[in-house]
Amino acid sequence: MATGQAAKLEFEAEVIRVDPVMGDAVLSTFVAPEGAVVASRPGQFVQILSRDPGSTDPLLRRPYSIYRVDPVASTMTVLVRPYGRGSAWLCRQPVGTQLDVMGPLGRPFEVRPKSQNLLMVAGGVGAAPLLMLAEDAVREGRQVTYLMGAQDETQLLPASELPEEVEYLVATVDGSRGHAGFVTDLVPEYLGWADQVFSCGPEPMFRSLREVVHRHRLGDRPDVQMAVERPMACGIGACLGCVVETRHGMKTACVDGPAFDMDEMLWG
Amino acid sequence: MGMTMTPDVTIDLAPNNPRELVLRNPVIPASGCFGYGQEFAGAIAVQRLGAFVSKGITPRPRNGNPMLRITETPSGMLNAIGLQNPGISAFIRKYPPMWESWDVPAIVNISAESVEDYEMMARRLDDVAGVAAIEVNISCPNINAGGFCFGWDADMSAQVTRAVRRATTLPMIVKLSPGALDIVEIAQAVEEAGADAVSLINTLVGMDIDIRRGEPVLANVTGGLSGPAVRPVALRMVYQVAGAVSIPVIGMGGIAGVEDAIRFFMAGASAIQVGTAAFARPNLLMELVDGIPAWLAEHGHGQLADIVGTANPRFLARREATPVADRGITERDFAR
Repeated sequence: MATGQAAKLEFEAEVIRVDPVMGDAVLSTFVAPEGAVVASRPGQFVQILSRDPGSTDPLLRRPYSIYRVDPVASTMTVLVRPYGRGSAWLCRQPVGTQLDVMGPLGRPFEVRPKSQNLLMVAGGVGAAPLLMLAEDAVREGRQVTYLMGAQDETQLLPASELPEEVEYLVATVDGSRGHAGFVTDLVPEYLGWADQVFSCGPEPMFRSLREVVHRHRLGDRPDVQMAVERPMACGIGACLGCVVETRHGMKTACVDGPAFDMDEMLWG
Repeated sequence: MGMTMTPDVTIDLAPNNPRELVLRNPVIPASGCFGYGQEFAGAIAVQRLGAFVSKGITPRPRNGNPMLRITETPSGMLNAIGLQNPGISAFIRKYPPMWESWDVPAIVNISAESVEDYEMMARRLDDVAGVAAIEVNISCPNINAGGFCFGWDADMSAQVTRAVRRATTLPMIVKLSPGALDIVEIAQAVEEAGADAVSLINTLVGMDIDIRRGEPVLANVTGGLSGPAVRPVALRMVYQVAGAVSIPVIGMGGIAGVEDAIRFFMAGASAIQVGTAAFARPNLLMELVDGIPAWLAEHGHGQLADIVGTANPRFLARREATPVADRGITERDFAR
């Protein structure tokens, strides 16, 4: 009986590495139970309690896409930018901190078995779930082009983070590295090549990507999956705080997503 | 009372109702915070709870409010979900059959915008297997009274309660709104009208403003405030109501640990509901299930009833003065 299961989602996790990345962000790596590590898929997330023990503030957990898992070391890594009170707290936690983590949660990206060429379109910390997806795809022998956009070069994911088989192209708004402009400007020339497109980033980037894909509509254009971000309370589909309007009604970002088909979502 | 025995924390929340509502412990996830139960099945042992309350069900399906629906506040959160639910008919087909095999009472929370619709839903639920009780949310606008909230008016609250009582013999909990001018008057009115128990408090209406956009944060503008931030208000209202009614009081509002729960018991609550804090920590529910009896044992109490209302002179005076049959207290009280 499902109601008889013991607590499996919530676990204590010791931080074992904190690496600065992308300006003021960090890659925080913590030890996780083997079951949680091997169950994690690209696009899924963990909810991390982001406050001092005994405090009730900030009240809610913060969701982070899984950036990388290491089944051998039994660790998970998340990419955290100090954007609000919770993420700033997490960025400050040094090696040795015991975190309270729930996960993996949510529906991952879906790579079709026959897809050979995968295009990834990342904006800012949206780089995280696509990094894990790219690593998996390369391991499975697929071709990956990873496009990343940021405000300036300090905000870019270092190329050394990606497998060397990945073609990595960048765009910066201030032109300090790569294409001067938006990452979605780089998308058109790959649309004929890609079997599938995966994206994660801010809402304006999603809208621009959708416009580019629709404008360059080909006979057999690739499907596009987007991992959306929403404020969340429970992370397990109970509160209905993080809904996404779709052609098939209200869906939760935490259980039915975060990965959604672009054309499944209603864009308002 | 033996110090080595596990304290008795069982409770009947409908002692005057032959269909009774006996819980193995006083820990109940609150409506809107526990989905339909199965969402939490991977996170906690649901069958160890005293009971659980479903999301609010309405006469017809509701899509709920547009985004944003939730936002965090100091030690709390605002929500304006807008009662997203499949409606009573689809609800009855889908969830109670699943609950029938669960060894934990399922309480169905109902919301409506007219007395007739409350009555209709209560009638539909009366003989549905898998439904242990109804919790009536009266914090809704009455469309026949210009949208004035049922729960802010004693007469309208009593009308809803009487209508539900006519329609079903199921144990009925009426969930009180803290927006009422005098919550004690509302509690007494619904007791008089046939409620088996009251639960309080529902959320307090609040809002936040995004100063960058210069607009309210929530699409609905206002939302319900919950979490530890509301606890002192909730505790005060539970204290007042428990001192003024004879039916069981279920306390809720910001409970985030065992000691918070004990405060509500001492104020006069027979059971507690937990909502917002379990969003962040589902396992809090299990900590309460284990921690309440542990606290009682540690403090030399053989049963939960030993501490109920002990900080509330009016509650104690009423219990002293009320005839045994009307008390809302089980026989265990007299076995001591």
